[in-house]
Amino acid sequence: MTLAATESRAGGVVAAPVLEARDVVFEYVPGVRVLDGWSAVFPAGSMTALTGPSGRGKSTLLYLLGVMLHPQHGEILVDGVPVSSLRDAARARLRADLFGFVFQDAALDQTRTVLDNVTETALYRGQSRAAARHAALGLLDRFGVDVPPGRKPGQVSGGQGQRIALCRALLNAPRVLLADEPTGNLDPTTSSLVVDALRDHAGTGAAVIVVTHSPDVAAACDREIRL
Amino acid sequence: MNPVAVLREAFASARSQPVASTLTVLIVAGMIVAVMLTTGRTVAAEQSVLSTIDSAGTRSITVRAEDGAGVTSDVMDRIAGVEGIEWAAGFSSAIDATNTLIPDGTRVPVRYAYGTHLDRLGIPTASPVPGQLAYASATALRQLGLPDVAGSVTLTTGADYALAGRLTTPDFLTGFEPVVLIPQPDPTGSETINILVVTASRPDLVAPVSDAVLSLLAAEDPTKITVQTSEALAQLRAVIQGQLGSFSRGLVLLMLAITGTLVAIILYGLVMMRRKDFGRRRALGATRSLIIGLLLTQTALLALTGTLLGNATAITVLLATGAPLPGPAFLTASSVLATATATLAALIPALAASRREPIRELRVP
Repeated sequence: MTLAATESRAGGVVAAPVLEARDVVFEYVPGVRVLDGWSAVFPAGSMTALTGPSGRGKSTLLYLLGVMLHPQHGEILVDGVPVSSLRDAARARLRADLFGFVFQDAALDQTRTVLDNVTETALYRGQSRAAARHAALGLLDRFGVDVPPGRKPGQVSGGQGQRIALCRALLNAPRVLLADEPTGNLDPTTSSLVVDALRDHAGTGAAVIVVTHSPDVAAACDREIRL
Repeated sequence: MNPVAVLREAFASARSQPVASTLTVLIVAGMIVAVMLTTGRTVAAEQSVLSTIDSAGTRSITVRAEDGAGVTSDVMDRIAGVEGIEWAAGFSSAIDATNTLIPDGTRVPVRYAYGTHLDRLGIPTASPVPGQLAYASATALRQLGLPDVAGSVTLTTGADYALAGRLTTPDFLTGFEPVVLIPQPDPTGSETINILVVTASRPDLVAPVSDAVLSLLAAEDPTKITVQTSEALAQLRAVIQGQLGSFSRGLVLLMLAITGTLVAIILYGLVMMRRKDFGRRRALGATRSLIIGLLLTQTALLALTGTLLGNATAITVLLATGAPLPGPAFLTASSVLATATATLAALIPALAASRREPIRELRVP
């Protein structure tokens, strides 16, 4: 599979690149390339949509950019530093410190409370529990999650669940926010709230990358990369 | 990695998975109960049997020297340096004595006693009139008609000695009853000793200590020396300890293996059921070592809870049935082993959890 088209609506990149993919080659099965020499720059303060038909490697690309997968060739760079060849523990710390993730189905721990879910990444960063809880309560309030923080995710709606996942992703004010179809299962109101939150976060100087099938979400981004 | 944060997270994880946690606790508790009610009882019975054998004088050596053998009180100084001797005392031949006030009363044997360990018999280490006081066992006092330890004894030699206290007769001296002793704290070294009693510090030292003591007797006529040891009893003790100990160890190992296997199966099942959670943790920045540490800590906490529950249950059952309780060392060892086994058994599931690939677990088809 090859890159079909790359289109920019941003009218030229002016900010310094936070995240960059350089000549990335990836294949699950030897000889069958999902990405073949793919390159792109994701500047600070920009929101990019990754679009395209299913099976074209959008999620794979997102996980490569999130240094969860190794490219067979090429590099992922954060602030100009190659990171995809780092050791596993170093890449995990990088994800905890600099990255935020929003998954399609929220991926919340159903056995833990809403507050525990939002503050989960604090443990991985070594952040103080009290500070994380304080920040988490602020985010839950900001995004209108009006359920008691002691409630479990199974007792809240899908829309509330995705907001909780958004709060978790924003807890460390990440430099790079990766979202895999974050509005896939949401009603228009909640979708709009999530997109606005992503836009706002890009406004703080972060690079936001969204995998989406939604033309509305893609339209809300600074640019769209079609796979 | 902050250990307190890991501990807190492990505790919260254990609480959030009540079924798996309860199963793990119950398995470890069941293992402890099974060990305590089988091996624990065996160990307690073993300790009781060994204690009975020990109280029968397993470690004692009695050297009898007839008159003319030439064994004198300076032997006490010579054997003082022998390693493995727990207690030693030398005694003269018996001299008949009666209650001074009842010259025709019952005669009891009186012996002069030599050695520095006499306090074990209840004789004070310091005396206001050294060598002039006598101490009698309860049996001797009864036969002398002096149950209140108030009076004196007159030897057939004509010497009088005031009774100053009651003796405690250890098991290895019961053969000398009724016992009346006149301690001689400052012997010249030339006093004749007819009986030398030595106890070894361990049953397996009876034979070497016996050999060492015999070599230091310096008897003028060795043919007049007879030695009575409990070496055969010590060997029997070792056999009993070895056989019971071997049975106990085998049973404990079997139960540990069963517990470890069951805990590993439960945790592996838990990891498989929650693989998406571990994939999410990895995606969000948890290192492999953190995930392994979390699962091991969680298992150790549950195993510790299981050992406490198991010990409490088993002790209650043993007390209720009047069965002997194993000692604290056994309780501690079985608890540590159970916790370590369960934690070790969690290692493979923990490794499996740490290797969940985020993209495989989190992608929605």
